[in-house]
Amino acid sequence: MFSEFATIFTLLIPIELKILVIEDERVLAESIASHLSKEGFIVETVFSYDAAVEKVNLYAYDCVVVDINLPDGTGFDIVEILKKIKATSGIIIISARDALEDRIRSLEIGSDDYLTKPFHLSELNARVKAILRRRNFGGSNEISYQELRVNYNTRRVFVGENEISLSKKEYDLLLYFMSNVDIALTKASMAEHLWGDNIDSADSFDILYSQIKNLRKKLTDGGCSEYIHSIYGIGYKFGRN
Amino acid sequence: MKLLGRTSLFYAAFSLVTYVVIAGSFYVLVERMIYREVEDRLKVERRDFEHFVRTHGIWEESCYFVEDKISLVSVSDTLKPLAEFKDTLMDNRYNRQLIPFREHTFYSAVGQGLYKVSIRKSLIESKSLLKSITVTLLITLSIGLLVLYLFQRRFSKVLWRPFYNTLAKAKAFDVSTGSALDLTAEPIYEFNELNSELEKMTEKISQDYRNLKEFTENASHEIQTPLALINSRVEELIQETNVAPKQMSWIQDIHESTLRLSRLNHALLLLSKIDNGQFYEREPINVNALIRSKLSALEEIFNLKGLTVSYKEEGTLVLPMNGILADALFTNLLNNSVKHNVRPGTIDIFIDDRKFVIRNSGDTLNENPEVLFERFRKHNQSSNSLGLGLAIVKKISDVHRLKISYTYSDRFHTFKLTPL
Repeated sequence: MFSEFATIFTLLIPIELKILVIEDERVLAESIASHLSKEGFIVETVFSYDAAVEKVNLYAYDCVVVDINLPDGTGFDIVEILKKIKATSGIIIISARDALEDRIRSLEIGSDDYLTKPFHLSELNARVKAILRRRNFGGSNEISYQELRVNYNTRRVFVGENEISLSKKEYDLLLYFMSNVDIALTKASMAEHLWGDNIDSADSFDILYSQIKNLRKKLTDGGCSEYIHSIYGIGYKFGRN
Repeated sequence: MKLLGRTSLFYAAFSLVTYVVIAGSFYVLVERMIYREVEDRLKVERRDFEHFVRTHGIWEESCYFVEDKISLVSVSDTLKPLAEFKDTLMDNRYNRQLIPFREHTFYSAVGQGLYKVSIRKSLIESKSLLKSITVTLLITLSIGLLVLYLFQRRFSKVLWRPFYNTLAKAKAFDVSTGSALDLTAEPIYEFNELNSELEKMTEKISQDYRNLKEFTENASHEIQTPLALINSRVEELIQETNVAPKQMSWIQDIHESTLRLSRLNHALLLLSKIDNGQFYEREPINVNALIRSKLSALEEIFNLKGLTVSYKEEGTLVLPMNGILADALFTNLLNNSVKHNVRPGTIDIFIDDRKFVIRNSGDTLNENPEVLFERFRKHNQSSNSLGLGLAIVKKISDVHRLKISYTYSDRFHTFKLTPL
């Protein structure tokens, strides 16, 4: 009786996605957790290898964020355990080591992404959402915000029924905004998301500015309300206010 | 020069000297023996002659001497000194050929008269004997030396084989594998010592290398983690809505400095990793293709900064490089040409199969071009740049045996990259 009710109940409300953060630095773990919680995820944190192993064996998570260097084990082993128990979780490895061999190894053993510390919380958030999208949680290949709709399989953007054509960078920028609704995004995090190490940061802010100007213009020309707001000295925020 | 070549050369030179000395002294010795023998016989004949004169009182040409081998010349006194033995050449009676003789001369009284008597003996047989003996000796000596030479070469090869084995292994030693040389024990004491010393040395080197690698990586980890903490807290602060604008600008300063520190740490880590030889894998890098992709990625920034870029290729430049480092090298060179440019400015890139040249317009150079590639050498001290870009370029060029050169002329800065 009760389980039937539970099933109906979960079908009715938006599915709540569970994320496990495995990170021995408590402060970092806490900030990751609080940031992701604001996005509506249910976040659990553990600070050691043993606790992580216990958790992943007991519960199913939609996404696991794991640090490689743990005091009593390595993140690689946790990824291997997840693969062994055939967990469907998306896996993001975070590491202070920017070593190519770690990057290759983490992808080889089946993790979905690799992020080097220090990273921007908004970047982690965008990557978590990208993984969840790729795994098709929620059953749709579209994300939407108000009248904006983005089909991330075909990379097409619509305002209502109007299609808007965006350049690759403008598209990436929009998707980054839509993954971080109502979050103040720093210029640095956006520049890094779009260009990585390819461009010097001083230059990238200028290009970022012109990209945002173009994106704004295309959206408003297509009939979209103004959702991109600049925050003086910091960067931008995407949302209704 | 190879050890074997050197020993062979010494051996050959030594053999040649020995050969000449032995052959020469042997010739002189045999010749002297032959002379003594001939002279003894001449003395015997002199005794025969004197005996004959004493018993008969006279000398008859026809007695028993054939040929013109004894001659008497009448002399008035015996005061003139005589060379007792000497070499002389005389006509052969039959074919008018000069043939060598040994002549024994003495004074003798025959009857009432005084005579100078010369007895001669042909040396022709002795000379040919000497010749054949010498030739035989030379041939056997040559064969002997040649055999010895070949044997010595062969022997050296066998003897030095352990050394060459060790040398080949030492050459193949790669510190980045983290393991010491594995050498076999040798029966020869010196080689065994060499091997064990090499093993100890490479073990120490590998150990140090591992420690250093661990240290740099640990140091980087230790720095990145607190940076990540600061960064995450600052980003949370940025999300706060009730922060005064003044405080928000402080937060922003902290944020930017943290990011800068993190970039600096990454760049220094890259430099030390290159120093440690951690990027040892090589693959052929097509510079043309790499540059074309970089240029298209940077197109936005060129437009934004009002830079006209010309790209010209007259051949394909393929360099054996590490992929990551090649990317870092050309990214840094391109960023450098953007950063130190003027508006409006130009960037000219030229590639052929021997070189990569990038030239950009810019301000006049106030610095010594020599120090341009040093770490933390900044055009403008307060600028946002880390001052490590060209140091990284130089380091990467060095480890790939590439030559990077810089020239400045009339507000144009040119970097040229060529394989050594």
